[in-house]
Amino acid sequence: MKLNRRNFLSLGVGVVAGTTLSPLPWKLMDDVSIWTQNWPWTPVPPDGEVTYEKSVCTLCPGGCGITVRKIDDRAVKIEGIEGHPVNDGGVCLLGLSGLQLLYGPTRIKSPLKRVGERGEGKWQTISWNQALTEVAVKLGELRSNDRSHTVACISGSDQGTVPGLLNRFLTAYGSPNYIRTPSIHDSYEIALSLMHGGQSSAGFDVENADFVLSFGSGIIDGWMSPVRMIKANSIWKNEKSKVVQIEPRLSNTAAKSDTWVPIKPGTDAALALGLAHVIIKESLYNKDFVEKYAFDFNAFKTIVLESFGPDDVAKITGVDKKTILSLAKQFAGASKPLAICGRGQGKTPGSIDEVAAVHALNALVGNINKPGGVWAVSQPDYIKWPEVQMDAVASSGMKRERVDGAGSEKFPNANYLLNRWVGAVNSSKESPVQALFITDANPCYTLSDTSVVKKAFDRIPFVVSFSSNINETALNADLILPSHASLERYEDVPLSAGLTKSVIALSKPVVKPQFNTKHVGDVIIEIAKKLGGSIEEAFPWDDYETCLKATLGDKWDALVENGYWSDPDFGVPPWEGAFATGSMKFEFLGVVRARGGEKDVQAKHLFTPVTIEGNEKSYPLTLIPYDSLRLANGSIGDPPFAIKTVEDTVLKHKDVFIEMNPETAEAYDISEGDYAVLNTPKGKARVKIHLFDGIMPGLVAMPTGLGHTGPDEYLAGKGINFNELIGPVEDADFGLDVVWGIRANLTKA
Amino acid sequence: MDSALIPKGVKRCSLGLFTLGIAVAGAVLLWGVYAMLLCWIKGLNQTNMNDYYGFALWIWADLAVIALGGGAFFTGFLRYVIGKDELKNIINYAVIIGFICYSSALLILAIDVGQPLRSWFIFWHANVHSMLTEVAFCLSCYFVVLIIEFIPLILENRQLDKVPFFHNLSHNMHEVMAIFAATGAFLSFFHQGSMGGIAGVLYGRPFGSREGLLVWPWTFFLFTWSAAACGPCFTILVTWITEKITKKKLVKDNVIRLLAKISGWMLATYIIAKIIDTWYWATVTAPSMGFTLMDFYSNNAFYGIWILVLEIFVCGVIPALILITKTGRNNSKLLMTAVILAVIGVCINRWVMVLQMMAMPVLTFENWVLYLPSWQEVATTILPVAYGVIVLALSYRYLPVFPQEKELNPID
Amino acid sequence: MKKEHKHENTKKFGMVIDLDKCTGCGACMVACMAENNVPFKKDESDKLDSITWICVYKLTNGKSFPDTEICYLPRPCMHCSGIGEHGHSPCVSVCPATATDYDHTTGIVSQIYTRCFGCRYCMAACPYHARYFNWWDPVWPEGMEKSLNPDVSPRMRGVVEKCSFCFHRYQAAMDKAYTEGRRELEEDEYQTACTQACPAGAITFGDLDNPDHKVYELKKSPNAFRLLERLKTNPKVYYLSSRDWVRKAGDNYLEAESKVKKKIV
Repeated sequence: MKLNRRNFLSLGVGVVAGTTLSPLPWKLMDDVSIWTQNWPWTPVPPDGEVTYEKSVCTLCPGGCGITVRKIDDRAVKIEGIEGHPVNDGGVCLLGLSGLQLLYGPTRIKSPLKRVGERGEGKWQTISWNQALTEVAVKLGELRSNDRSHTVACISGSDQGTVPGLLNRFLTAYGSPNYIRTPSIHDSYEIALSLMHGGQSSAGFDVENADFVLSFGSGIIDGWMSPVRMIKANSIWKNEKSKVVQIEPRLSNTAAKSDTWVPIKPGTDAALALGLAHVIIKESLYNKDFVEKYAFDFNAFKTIVLESFGPDDVAKITGVDKKTILSLAKQFAGASKPLAICGRGQGKTPGSIDEVAAVHALNALVGNINKPGGVWAVSQPDYIKWPEVQMDAVASSGMKRERVDGAGSEKFPNANYLLNRWVGAVNSSKESPVQALFITDANPCYTLSDTSVVKKAFDRIPFVVSFSSNINETALNADLILPSHASLERYEDVPLSAGLTKSVIALSKPVVKPQFNTKHVGDVIIEIAKKLGGSIEEAFPWDDYETCLKATLGDKWDALVENGYWSDPDFGVPPWEGAFATGSMKFEFLGVVRARGGEKDVQAKHLFTPVTIEGNEKSYPLTLIPYDSLRLANGSIGDPPFAIKTVEDTVLKHKDVFIEMNPETAEAYDISEGDYAVLNTPKGKARVKIHLFDGIMPGLVAMPTGLGHTGPDEYLAGKGINFNELIGPVEDADFGLDVVWGIRANLTKA
Repeated sequence: MDSALIPKGVKRCSLGLFTLGIAVAGAVLLWGVYAMLLCWIKGLNQTNMNDYYGFALWIWADLAVIALGGGAFFTGFLRYVIGKDELKNIINYAVIIGFICYSSALLILAIDVGQPLRSWFIFWHANVHSMLTEVAFCLSCYFVVLIIEFIPLILENRQLDKVPFFHNLSHNMHEVMAIFAATGAFLSFFHQGSMGGIAGVLYGRPFGSREGLLVWPWTFFLFTWSAAACGPCFTILVTWITEKITKKKLVKDNVIRLLAKISGWMLATYIIAKIIDTWYWATVTAPSMGFTLMDFYSNNAFYGIWILVLEIFVCGVIPALILITKTGRNNSKLLMTAVILAVIGVCINRWVMVLQMMAMPVLTFENWVLYLPSWQEVATTILPVAYGVIVLALSYRYLPVFPQEKELNPID
Repeated sequence: MKKEHKHENTKKFGMVIDLDKCTGCGACMVACMAENNVPFKKDESDKLDSITWICVYKLTNGKSFPDTEICYLPRPCMHCSGIGEHGHSPCVSVCPATATDYDHTTGIVSQIYTRCFGCRYCMAACPYHARYFNWWDPVWPEGMEKSLNPDVSPRMRGVVEKCSFCFHRYQAAMDKAYTEGRRELEEDEYQTACTQACPAGAITFGDLDNPDHKVYELKKSPNAFRLLERLKTNPKVYYLSSRDWVRKAGDNYLEAESKVKKKIV
């Protein structure tokens, strides 16, 4: 057949028609669509057997009970344990994001040794043996030079076996420098020791209170134990309990409260004393408590009546007289009133005067150790290890004064003063800290005046981090000995975040360790063994798990079964015998006397405004931080899920917004979304403006929890770390950081 | 060089010049194709669309080209069904423009969907309640009709016509073209309507939502009517542009004026209906949902009441008045002004029914959201224009598109 | 004794969200993301392109300091049943490929990711912005795909997704019930991830038609309202608020109407 044009065309038409009618194109079409439904780059999670494992969330001090859903050996979802004394089924968004920290690429996969500059992020993978040997060699060196006291440890907690082992190690080694990171607990602990006597932490029976007077506490913004507080808030709604929120900014807590009382920042103590004035003057206080169980009510009465009349207080606080009178009457008139403080989430100690004044209010209405009141809770003392047998080096080291000055003649009431510790490291010619261990803490991010903190780190020749995820502090370490993540390890977690019960929770290895990590407890024991002698002898356990089981004894089974153990015999002592002060009574002026008002109590000893940095002329605005549950601001930063929930009026791309009242903005000729440069005496930052009617004119507020330099692109480089713009303000008598804000100015960018 | 392909008795520019023109259009086309490939390979993140603007520039372009391509069905309807014989002198061009518009619409839809490889699910898993299903079916069917209408014209190419089979095929197809034209008109009536229905049935979107007749909201009929009115205007406009470029008279004025007159009356009746619809919407439909007319046109940086005035008055009433008056039609400047305004008017109508509808907040605690298309969206939207220019140029050069060309431009 | 329902197997699952209790903490959003394998990008601050099946809105009363008030409002999919409960929700009726459907036995609006071809008509139809498009391929950082839930398939690029009222939990609960020889679920056997996680207990989930379920009475509260009721979408998510301005924010009102309303209030 000749292939002419006609044949060719017919052939073409035939081929097209034939192919179309054949199943081929249809089959192809179908196959291609099936392919799009199963793109190989879209993961398909494997199915398997479903199990649940109970544990405790350790991402914040809240101590929520969690139950982890597993598919075979994968953890796929974190949920709350129903009936748990803290969270009863609820979980917060950080807890819910926990698996992103467990499985995420921010995990440190093996021991790392720094090879580049500090903070540069250049590491060399080393073996555990090498890592531990290096630590042991360094520690041995320092010890043989009689410098054991130059070793320090910063930790997020001082309760439980791991902090216990670390502390024990320092004792056996010969250093008194175990430091807990600062928080409102510092202030409460000091206030309670001076007003109640003895060592205890504050427990708040929020669930049973029917009138809550909150001096700036972000009750539902992450104060103490976030989920428990939100639950309490719902109970208050059901029970029609009243909540009064006192703070200059309409926080979520203020928004949920029944009454929001805006107040000039930093004057809360004055308001508390003003309320005390009214309560005393109108004789609304609990006479039973005040007369029988308080030591110095009359002295307190005299000074309060003299110096804190509603007119004066109104002037100081900006809260009008009518409100003061009404608040005082409502508070005293409630059957279970509760006054609390600790600004925002309570991540800074804050003013101890404020704690004392607020606590005095509770005492006036007699709701100490009562349902709906404040309880002085002593920590569970289940850790009963034999006394450490110190050798000569250890004894002499332990006799040294702490680097931070806590417990010294100058600050006899303080337990830990990390803010002073930074100053001490920076101010001596040679750093008084030669080796530093950090666990469960991220001071390079969370401490105020970040650049000074980093400077202090630079002066310490040997920094070891136990972090399981990369963070700012780990980035500034010389050696990272990565711990198992909390979902990979056993650890007892005594719950202390404002709980009124004595509860120990157990963190459990929900999944097997994903990487070449080691339990901090085991690391300590192994280092002790390497150092030998009396140090080794102080650690008679083969490994951490043995130690833990032995320590917990008969509680172990309950802990494994339920995830927590609650002391069945726990009760709060009645007023009779509850106080261990010198007078064996409640002391209204306990804190005041410690301040030096022993002989001549003056109003200034009860309330002196904290002077924040910067003069009004060059810094006409006041910058305050605000805490949000959606922005983790502790040692752990927001995982991807959590940062996703942050509103676009808080963070947009890399820019953080500061909140400003439209009235203030008008004076600066600034509008919503404008860029501005915010200057404080400590630093400056480029920010965006969010106009917010809920903030007092003259103030600007910035969220905490942003401005991370690590660990990953989901978080790093977004916004500004508030701590870069603020520095500590030290209480002259207690050494605590009492800062609540800093003066600032703004220029339109 | 290509003179053997050029129809007898007409003059065309040199192949070099022609190639240059095609090359320019081709470059734009390639740019569009590049953007299209980006969208297909990397996904729709290449666009500036977002969860508030699921429908954006492309859907507008789709609606607009379909409306403008409406010249094909309506001219066909007038020529073959009503029997306006003069229109045979422009019907070819109307069909080509229609073909370009509809093929472009299908292409844009293929880029616009997130999963183009399974877009045939619209047929396989069809949901008869969806206006989009109706659109897809009618659009595809009508596109087949357009191909059928285009084929005989292609076969009239001098070389193809030499093949007896093609010659006969072409002849026979012409014979039955009335049936196809009628089918096309019927299909078009529905899909032009469904296009309007797309917005009209969205009862969650007070800006677009309209009451209506049975399952069809008023926009269903308004869209058909406006396409019938403005489609021919676009045909006139493109013809006029072609005449300007070729520097030749291609269609006699009486043909243009006839089409313009019909368009004018369609436009006039449409705009009356549109005004009634808008009035009813503003005073009854919207208030029942809690909105006043000005809620739709305030509190944002762009969409003011001006756009409504522009659409209805400037680009509706004015061109309608020009086109229905003899003086207006006979003055070529006025005629072209009216035609251009009508084309702009229908485009604005399609724009607001897609983009303003998306921009407007419905929840009381949300705000207006404005959007600017990405370059990829712009390029893929211009792509059909370049493609259209090329198809038109090729058709004009090699096919006897304008029956009156020889007569109007005798070669010495 | 339980009342005999007309259609024994017909349920109308819905939610009542107490806005007085909601603290805006965001736990519901993350619980949902973790349960439903919702993808996340390196930058999620563009909220027009950020998948959050349940999204917490922040409402303000618009008054200046110190009379400002805030209310948070979590917005899952409303699972609208449309006019006359026919299941013609704004989105279901427009989907050209039947990729989203109204299940008359549960009242849940489903989304079939593998059938959706991404035309986004449903998104244009939904006045609540409850529907989200996968503009990007979902990418989990190395290792994190281990935390994916096998009960919910991760979505591919180019399809629409939305809240399903954790339908997979309903299926699992029903499976369990069937193996135990039951045809009915107890109220607590099927709860959504957000309901379960909410620290405030602000979300109550159940069968709106079942008098034994808590939502049945809650939805009748004088403080109850739904979003955009005037559009006749007939949502199955109710909100409770004791605040007048919040209830009013649920819908659009003409000025004249609000004046009348104010007088009544």
